Amino acid sequence: MKKTLFFSILLLLLTTFLAACNSDEENSASADGKVEIDFFHRWPNEPRKSFYDEKIKEYMEQNPDVHINVDSVLNDSYKEKIRVLVSSDDLPDIFAAWSDSFAENLVSSERIMPLNDVIKEDEEWSSKIIDSQFSGFTFDDTTYGIPFTVDGKAFFYNKAIFEENNIEVPKTYDELIAALDQLQDAGYSEPLVEGLTNTWAISHYLGTIFERVVDPAVLDKDYNAETAEFTDEGYIEGLEIFEELTSYMGDVSTAIDHEAARNMFAAGEVPVLYMQFAEIKMVEEAGDVEFGFFDFPEVEGAKGDPTALTGAPEGWMVSKNAPKETIDFLKFLTSEETAAEFTKTDGQLNAIEGAVTEENVNPASLEAYELISNATSTAPWFDNAVNINVADVFMRGGQSLATEQTTPEDILKEAQQEAQNQK
Amino acid sequence: MKEGAGMIAKRNRIVPILFLLPSLLFLGIFIYMPLVQNFYNSFFNFSVFSPTKEFIGFSAFEQLFSDKIVMTALINNIKYAVISVVFQVAFALVLATILEDKLFRRIAPLLRVVYFIPVMISISVIALLFGFIYNPQMGLLNSFLELIGLGNLAVPWLGNATTSIYAVIAMSQWQSIGFITMLFIVAIQKIPKELYEAAEIDGAGKIRQFFNITVPQVKETLFVNMLITITGAMLVFNEPYILTNGGPGTSSMTLSVYMYQQGFFKDNMGYASAVATLIFIVTAIFALVQIKVSGTGKDE
Repeated sequence: MKKTLFFSILLLLLTTFLAACNSDEENSASADGKVEIDFFHRWPNEPRKSFYDEKIKEYMEQNPDVHINVDSVLNDSYKEKIRVLVSSDDLPDIFAAWSDSFAENLVSSERIMPLNDVIKEDEEWSSKIIDSQFSGFTFDDTTYGIPFTVDGKAFFYNKAIFEENNIEVPKTYDELIAALDQLQDAGYSEPLVEGLTNTWAISHYLGTIFERVVDPAVLDKDYNAETAEFTDEGYIEGLEIFEELTSYMGDVSTAIDHEAARNMFAAGEVPVLYMQFAEIKMVEEAGDVEFGFFDFPEVEGAKGDPTALTGAPEGWMVSKNAPKETIDFLKFLTSEETAAEFTKTDGQLNAIEGAVTEENVNPASLEAYELISNATSTAPWFDNAVNINVADVFMRGGQSLATEQTTPEDILKEAQQEAQNQK
Repeated sequence: MKEGAGMIAKRNRIVPILFLLPSLLFLGIFIYMPLVQNFYNSFFNFSVFSPTKEFIGFSAFEQLFSDKIVMTALINNIKYAVISVVFQVAFALVLATILEDKLFRRIAPLLRVVYFIPVMISISVIALLFGFIYNPQMGLLNSFLELIGLGNLAVPWLGNATTSIYAVIAMSQWQSIGFITMLFIVAIQKIPKELYEAAEIDGAGKIRQFFNITVPQVKETLFVNMLITITGAMLVFNEPYILTNGGPGTSSMTLSVYMYQQGFFKDNMGYASAVATLIFIVTAIFALVQIKVSGTGKDE
């Protein structure tokens, strides 16, 4: 009798636990018969947050039987959170994703929906998406993501300051250094700033520098985890170039983030900033400086590609278990109308044909858009291009270089070892 | 039905076990099981993305001992512990004594609240706040230094590899000192007043009273507080994660931040488990040594 009581209590406790563990199975259909779509993006900041909130409202009005739950966190946190979510059953139905190795990692979870059939079924929609931008989301001929925004990175300069000091737009790396020296003499003690606390900002620099100084064939080999070695001397040269550039960034750069650096540029305090085209509108809104931009200049005598443009698309991915209405929402998000409105609101360029025109972007962005559409080759962001463990060695190494705690040789040695560990 | 004496004795044995059962169950499921599982995981190499695990034996631990970053992190944790013991335990005891002194009787309640407020603010809020204080351009700290003519001492506190960890530690002290002080105040209030009166009659000054009465009387609390601060310092995560994320480079890395980055940023779950095991062993050793030395529970 007593024993039965004992076991029944035990059983009761256990079942409550087990029940608690299983309770979130059926969250795709809510009580009032609406289909719920979980939407996760990485822009809790303006103007995109409001834009997507607005679009969600619009979509729910058009489709009263669909309810969309939205959640968002910022860049670096987003990377971490989505990695955690993809390993669980709580993966959102539709979410933002970068291309290349970031996308590949997510795909390897086998929880991402292949979209080939979706693309083939609705040519009217899919043919409007610029073809070349799909490559970063395609692995073994299967496409797992729909590219949406396109981007590139360039040096932006304050036209007034350059004119005042008679500085020409630099065409080579040596000219860039000469220009920075001249600016320093003119009283700008930190002519170039960057938010070095954001490791991705460092990876953007390093990625482009490596494009310039390392033989493209070597890069292809090293960007593939299976064959990566990182033994080329060019990497040392590249890290030295970065080290030299950080000497123009001053102490302040090691303690601020990219947004702070951008605001300094927009306020006219800093003449040069390495920045994404996506940020053009933000600079225009934050200040009234007149600016132009130039691609990262050629490094004379180096083996790399002197004109390759760094920048990769971002897009949307869909969970394998997503309700079928999600696809419709995906098409809504990537339709020409949404895209045109998106670029008008945000300023970032997109991969939908006909959605970037003189009407919704300023001349600078249109110039950038042409540069992106016509670039001979585009290189993905460095932290998306190589394994994250190797990228981390370079990114943290970059921080240490800026604070003079390490040498290019040590970083490369560590990267070689890490590349070896990943095989 | 008639129950024999044996039956009653048996029931009396079962009842206490029944009372203990829920807590045992909770501890088992939420503490001990994950601990064992973590130890088990550290023998594998696996990714959160893939369901397969590869057995690698002790090689994660071998890697652990040759990893320079683990060494940096461990040293940072030890710095954290030492500084925390000095400020949070030693200084908090002095602070508590002063607050309990007759001279401060009137404003002591107000000061207690002032010191305790930081404890009640969320650590994320505090970290963001200190981010502004340490900001190199418009930060309060550098502006203050410039104001009093020490502008040459102003550095980007969080961006400088030599100062970043200390800047993080300093914030922790500011936050936690109130909590420890409060524990000491409670302990001091329990000391019989006669002891102080007798000492005063004997001509003992305040400092003599502090060392000969207060310190021995709060010994138990002293050890408990040391245990709290040292294990806390070994586990510290929020402060460095929010303020610097271990940077610049790896200069303000702590073991917990490193574990998190290995697991969720670099996707080496097995290695992260090994780091977690290391953290467990280090804290367990510290706790055991302290309990042994203090002989908690055997006094009186």
